[in-house]
Amino acid sequence: MTCELNLNFLKELERETVLQVLYRDQMVRKVDEERIRKLKMQLQQLQWKGTNSVSHEYQERSCARCQKSLGLVMNRGAVCNGCSHRVCSECRVCLNPYLWKCTICYAHGDMKVKTGEWFFEERAKKFPAEDRHETVGAKLLKSYQKLSKISVVPPTPPPFTETTGRNTAMEISQSKSFHKSVENLFLSLATNMKKISKSQNDMRADKSLLTTDYGQDMERRKERRSQSDTAIDAANRIKNIPTLQQLISGTWDDNEAFTKRYCKQAEDIPTSPMSDTVFCGGKKHGSLYSINSTCTEAGNFDTTNVTGEIEFAIRYVFKTCTLEVCIKACKNLTYGEEKEKKCNPYAKIYLLPDKSSRSKRKTAVRKNTVDPAFHETLKYKIEYSQLETRQLQISVWHSETLKRRVFLGEVVVPLSSWNFEDNSTQSFSWYQLKVKSGKPEDNLVQYNGELLVCAKLILPSQSKKCQYEEQMRGGREDQASADGQLHLVVLGAKNLPVMRCGGTLNSFVKGCLTLPDQHKIRQKSPVLKKEACPQWKHLFVFDGVTPSQLRQSCLDLAVWDQASFGSNDRFLGRARLSPKEPSGTWDSDPQSKCQWQKILSSPNTWIDITFTLHSDMDT
Amino acid sequence: MTDGDYDYLIKLLALGDSGVGKTTFLYRYTDNKFNPKFITTVGIDFREKRVIYHSRGPNGSPGKAFKVHLQLWDTAGQERFRSLTTAFFRDAMGFLLMFDLTSQQSFLNVRNWMSQLQANAYCENPDIVLLGNKADLSDQREVNERQARDLADKYGIPYFETSAATGQNVDKAVEMLLDLIMKRMEQCVDKTQVSDTANGGSSGKLDSAKPEEKKCAC
Repeated sequence: MTCELNLNFLKELERETVLQVLYRDQMVRKVDEERIRKLKMQLQQLQWKGTNSVSHEYQERSCARCQKSLGLVMNRGAVCNGCSHRVCSECRVCLNPYLWKCTICYAHGDMKVKTGEWFFEERAKKFPAEDRHETVGAKLLKSYQKLSKISVVPPTPPPFTETTGRNTAMEISQSKSFHKSVENLFLSLATNMKKISKSQNDMRADKSLLTTDYGQDMERRKERRSQSDTAIDAANRIKNIPTLQQLISGTWDDNEAFTKRYCKQAEDIPTSPMSDTVFCGGKKHGSLYSINSTCTEAGNFDTTNVTGEIEFAIRYVFKTCTLEVCIKACKNLTYGEEKEKKCNPYAKIYLLPDKSSRSKRKTAVRKNTVDPAFHETLKYKIEYSQLETRQLQISVWHSETLKRRVFLGEVVVPLSSWNFEDNSTQSFSWYQLKVKSGKPEDNLVQYNGELLVCAKLILPSQSKKCQYEEQMRGGREDQASADGQLHLVVLGAKNLPVMRCGGTLNSFVKGCLTLPDQHKIRQKSPVLKKEACPQWKHLFVFDGVTPSQLRQSCLDLAVWDQASFGSNDRFLGRARLSPKEPSGTWDSDPQSKCQWQKILSSPNTWIDITFTLHSDMDT
Repeated sequence: MTDGDYDYLIKLLALGDSGVGKTTFLYRYTDNKFNPKFITTVGIDFREKRVIYHSRGPNGSPGKAFKVHLQLWDTAGQERFRSLTTAFFRDAMGFLLMFDLTSQQSFLNVRNWMSQLQANAYCENPDIVLLGNKADLSDQREVNERQARDLADKYGIPYFETSAATGQNVDKAVEMLLDLIMKRMEQCVDKTQVSDTANGGSSGKLDSAKPEEKKCAC
C-alpha cells in the first residue's frame, strides 16, 4: 500500500516534469512558427512581385519573373518545367547541370524543406486521419487542459463563456483521435491533482498556468488567473506564457525585451497605468484583482480605466493594393462618462507612424452602449512593401457633443510581422484594449515618407598635397581646422505623399547647411518628373567647411514638388541632421545627433542614412 | 537559443532500453560533458543544439552552409512510459536507436524498437542510426562489433560504436543522421515539385462578414 502511495506521489512529480518539458517544447514551436510565418511572407512578396506585373502587362516575349523583354534569337529565355513560364537566364536557379528552376519554383521548394512541410506531407501519407501539423506535445498539453477543465468546473460560469465553449468543443473533437493510453495516463494524473489540490482557487490558477492556447484566449485566461489568490511567480509567468502582444509583434526575443522594458517602466513610474502583461479585466472586475498582480505588474489603475475588447480583422487585397481593416464590435467598454453611465463609442485608426489626417479612418458613433457593433471596413490604399514599416493603431473613443473626446482604449498591431498570406490571420479576433502606450500624441512624428541619402566628410589629409602639408606641420591637430568638404548624395525617396490624380510627382530636393555663424550654404537637385518614388542620385557638395564648424552646424533637407503653371511649389517633407538634441515641436529624430556625429567621426567613409520626412513647415 | 535565426528545425529522437545511455549521449552531444550518474528520464525530455550544416553539390563540391536548429528528444526507456514515448515517435524526423554494448539484452531488444519505429514513426522507413554505446567499457563488453554491424546491415542503417564518456563517435553519429535527413528532404522536394505556384490567398474570411461600406472616413 505504501508502495502505491509512493507511486502516486511520483506520478504527481512526473506530471510536473513532463509538463515542464511540454512547455519548453511549446516555446520551440512558437519560435519556429514565427520563423515560418516570416518565410511565407518573404515568398509571398516574391510571388507578388511576379504576379503583379503579370496581370498588368504580361507580354509573350518577356521574362515572367523580372519582366525583362526577351529576344527572338538572342536571349530567348526558356520555359521553366515547374511553372511553364518563360524566364530569362538571370531568373533561374541551377540545381544540377541538367536541371534548373525559375526563382519562384525554387523558392517554393526551398520553403517546403525549410518549413518542414516535406515531413508533414510524408507523414500524412502514413497517418492520413491525423492532424497534419499538430505535434504530440501540443496535443498532450491541449488534452491535459481539457481534462483539468472537466475536473474543475467553477460554480459560476466564467466571463466569455461563449468562446470557452467553442474551444472545448474543438478540443474534444480533436482529441478523439488521440492515443487512448496517453489520455488515460493524464486522466489519472489529473485526478491525482484534483485530490491534492486544496481549493478551487488553486485549481484555477493551475489551469490558467497550463494553458496552451494563446492569443486572445490567453488574455482571457489571464483574467481569471489574476483573480486568484494564489501567488505565482510573476517573472516566471511573463517568461513562460506569451501575451497577445508578444504573439502579434513578432519574435520572442524582441518581446521579452519589450516586456522587460515595460516592467521596468512600471517600476520607475509607479503611477503609470502602463502594463502590457496583465492589463485586462479592468473596472468590472477591478475589485477582484489580487493585490499581488496589481502591485507587481499593473501599476495604478486609478488614473485610466480601460476595459473590454475589440473585435476586428485585417487583410490585404493584393489585386487592389488595399489594406482593409474590418471593425466588427467592442464589448465591455468602460463608460466615457462614468457618473452618468454614458458611452457613445467609435473606433479610430491610424497607420502609424503617419499621424496625419491622411492616415486617419473612423467608424460611425454608436449611441449609449458599451457593447457597440460597428461592422465597418476601413481601407487604405498602400503598397504591400510599405506595410512592413507601419503599425496599425486602433483606438476606441467616447464622443459627446461639445465635449472633449474620452479615450477608451487602444490596440496597436505591428504590420511587419502580420502574415497577410495566411487565411487564418484574416479571421476576426478579439483583442484586449490597452491603455495608451508611448508618448503623448503631439510628440508623435508626422510621417511623410522616407528620404535615403549617403554622406561623407572629406578631409584634406586624404589628398597628397595636404598630407604633405600635414607632415610639414608635424601633426594632426590641425585637422580640425583644415578645410573639408561634406559630400551628400541624395539617393531617393519613397512613400512621399502623392496628391496629384496621376499619382506622380515632379520632385526635387533642397539642401541647406547652416554654419555656426548662421551662414547658409544652399544646394538644389534637379527636378525628376513624373516619379512617385524619385531616385535623384544627386551629389551635394558643401565646400570649405571645417569639422569643428560642422560640429555646430545643421543640415536641412526638404523635398518639394515643382508646381506647374506658375503656382507655388508644394512642400512634401523635411528632415534635419543636427548636433543638438531635438527640441521644439517637430525637430529631428533622436538619432539625428548620432548620425551627424557618425559622419564627423568617420571621415572619408560613406554613411547611409534613412530619414523620416516630416510635414511641418516651421523650424 | 530562443531566436528564430536558423534555416531548419530538425527533430531527432533517441530511443532504446533503459540505461543504455541515451540521456548522457545527448548531454555529451549538446554540452560536451559527461555525467556518469544514472538519472532515469521521466517520460520525455529534449535538448537543443544549433549546428551548421554544409550541403554538398552533386559532384561533391562544397555547397551552401545552413543553420540547423536541432531538437533532440530524449525518451524514457522504461516500459511504463512506453505509451507516452512511442507517441512522440511520430514527430521525429530521424532516430538514434541505441543499445548498450555491455548488455546483450539491450541489443536483442533493438528488434523490438525497430518494429515500434515502423509502427509509430512518420513513415515506414525513417532515417535511423544504430548506436552501440558505452564503447569505453571494453572489459564488460557483451556485444561484439560484428554482430551489431550485421544487424545494422540487415536494416540498411549506419552503425556506430559510441561512448558518451569519451565522446567517441558522438558527433559523428548525429551528423550522419542529420546528413541522411537533409538528403531525404532534398529528394522529397525534387520528386514532388510540380507547378504549384499558387497565388497568394487574398480570398479571405473577411468576405463572410459582409460589412457595410462607409464612405466618410474623417
